[in-house]
Amino acid sequence: MRRTESRMVTGGYDIRGIVTWVVLMSLFVTQLLVYTWCRVQCVQVGYEISKEADDYQNLMAVQNTLKIELERLKSPDRISKIAHYQLGLVTPVPTQKKTIVVHEND
Amino acid sequence: MKTTEANGINFRITAVAVLFALLFLGIAVKVIYLQVFCGEWLSRKAVGQIEKTLTTCGKRGMIYDTRLREMAVSVDTTSVAAYPRQIHDTDETASALSGILQMPPDPLRLKLISRRSFVWIRRQVPPKEEKAVRELKLAGIDFIPDTGRYYPNSTRAGQLIGFTGIDGRGLEGLEFYYNEQLRGKAYQFTVLKDALGKKFEAENEYHAARSSGNNLVLTIDRTIQYIAENALSETLASFSARSGMAIVMDPKTGAILALANGPLFNPNSYRQFTRECWRNRAITDPFEPGSTMKVFSAAAAIESGGCTPNTIFFCENGKYRIGDDVVHDTHPYGWLSLQKIIKHSSNIGAIKMGEMVGPEVLYRTLRDFGFGQKTGIDCPGETPGNLLPFEKWSKIDAGAISFGHGISVSALQLITALSAIANRGVLMKPYVVRAITDPGGGLVRSFGPCKVRQVVSEKTADTVKKMMVSVVQSGGTGVRAALDGYSVCGKTGTSQKLNEKGEYAGDAYIASFMGIVPVENPRVAILVVIDEPRKDHYGGTVAGPAFRKIARETLNYMNVPPQNSTERLTAFLKTRSSVETIRAYPAP
Repeated sequence: MRRTESRMVTGGYDIRGIVTWVVLMSLFVTQLLVYTWCRVQCVQVGYEISKEADDYQNLMAVQNTLKIELERLKSPDRISKIAHYQLGLVTPVPTQKKTIVVHEND
Repeated sequence: MKTTEANGINFRITAVAVLFALLFLGIAVKVIYLQVFCGEWLSRKAVGQIEKTLTTCGKRGMIYDTRLREMAVSVDTTSVAAYPRQIHDTDETASALSGILQMPPDPLRLKLISRRSFVWIRRQVPPKEEKAVRELKLAGIDFIPDTGRYYPNSTRAGQLIGFTGIDGRGLEGLEFYYNEQLRGKAYQFTVLKDALGKKFEAENEYHAARSSGNNLVLTIDRTIQYIAENALSETLASFSARSGMAIVMDPKTGAILALANGPLFNPNSYRQFTRECWRNRAITDPFEPGSTMKVFSAAAAIESGGCTPNTIFFCENGKYRIGDDVVHDTHPYGWLSLQKIIKHSSNIGAIKMGEMVGPEVLYRTLRDFGFGQKTGIDCPGETPGNLLPFEKWSKIDAGAISFGHGISVSALQLITALSAIANRGVLMKPYVVRAITDPGGGLVRSFGPCKVRQVVSEKTADTVKKMMVSVVQSGGTGVRAALDGYSVCGKTGTSQKLNEKGEYAGDAYIASFMGIVPVENPRVAILVVIDEPRKDHYGGTVAGPAFRKIARETLNYMNVPPQNSTERLTAFLKTRSSVETIRAYPAP
């Protein structure tokens, strides 16, 4: 009888039991939703990482190509030809050279 | 509500509850069965569908020159492949591909009707062709990422660097010799794919970066290499020569600054050249050096103590009989001092000098200079040359070896021995790789100067150097190698080649010149060897000017000031950065 009195009974329903169940179910459903959201996010981030990795690879390939192009442009053959034929430069003879003696002041 | 009606409702509720309970029980049983009893098998099946483990190789390491400028790089390319079973129209596909890839259609058709599930169509196609094939959107044709080798400087040091095959293995030169260091390590990585086949979470890049091969840093300087190759090519063209070699070495360290072989060879398209062009002749090919050997015979004579530069020998007026053989000089000479023998390059004088020294001393000295044995350079296919033990020498051998016949040497041995003269009698081990670095640029191993032995005393080396100065002075055989503003010492060499019968051919010569600049503080030792020049065959005339051109431009590039220049500008600096400014912008 004491137990019966301590329960909140409304219209024959056990209110406390219902609330407990609702809270537990809410927690369970929320947990499921959070877990699903995490998995979806994880996959999404995976796709983004893949895309970024691909972009990185492409950029590295471009950088590599540019490096090679730079080396080609700096090659002695090309510079020598430009210097000789376009600019009319020649290798200086000893009389055209001056030695600079450098003294450093501390 | 009546009791019977309430009972009916309760019964229906109970029935529905029991029904649902049974359904859920069925589902639970199935779930337990799948999870507990079939879980492992299902997991494996699922992983097999979404995960793919691939094995691939890291990128091949780079090859740099001494100033860390790329000489060989790995580039990302694409290879075209086919899955024959997926091709709808073989003929149409073959004709379309043959047009773009410039391949004969019949062999291509045979590939496409192959029973194999996968065939390569063409490896490492150029981007333009790849794009054109992609645009065709042919069924069963796939594009596989690949790595190719590219040499940005094309012919620069082509024979020295070598090349790799289509599978990335080194086949020639340093690419072959250092293949284990250069090649990328094999690694496995997992590709995850979703239901649509899209890949995600690529861990490949992490592994790829760590699996690349090590890099090589050479002692070769790209600019000096260009200077040497350019001068050599000009000489070969001028004299319609068959081939040639030029080596520039730092005599103090044994580091090779340039190693040129002519005709030039482009490793980017090695298949378009004959195998003869691939060879690094300067290291692999022995030849009779001719008069350049007189320098070392003279060193033996002086070192033995029986000779000085002023010791005189009778040169028999140009004709000297040894047994059944007769040796000639280009000009008839009477009495000549040792210095004059070197200056005028008298064969008979060299024989007399050799006779005075004796075969054993001559042999031991030449052997100490490194002739008849490998130098140990880090290149494949080095020849030891040929220097018979003195016990096996005939009388003519002893005489001939004194002036560079009856002995075969490689260009590398010759320049190394000359460097010993320049380096106060100390023979250094020649080397072309100064460091091996990891993919991140960290040092793995470094190679430095390595002293082999003291061949002759410092005094002897100095005396020989002084004698060699006369060669490029008026009246000497190497006047065309003289350089304005710098002191030069050197020696010319002209030797007849042997024909198929083993006899000296009357029309085939090897012309050479080797020298040191500047004499007082040698910065470079240079050797030029021209094989079978047509219009002229004397070393001083053919190889001398090439030596001069290489020396002049190399010293200019190395900022070695002219010795006879008395003009000086003095600058006082406050900061270190000002030094760099002055170096970058020299006075007009």
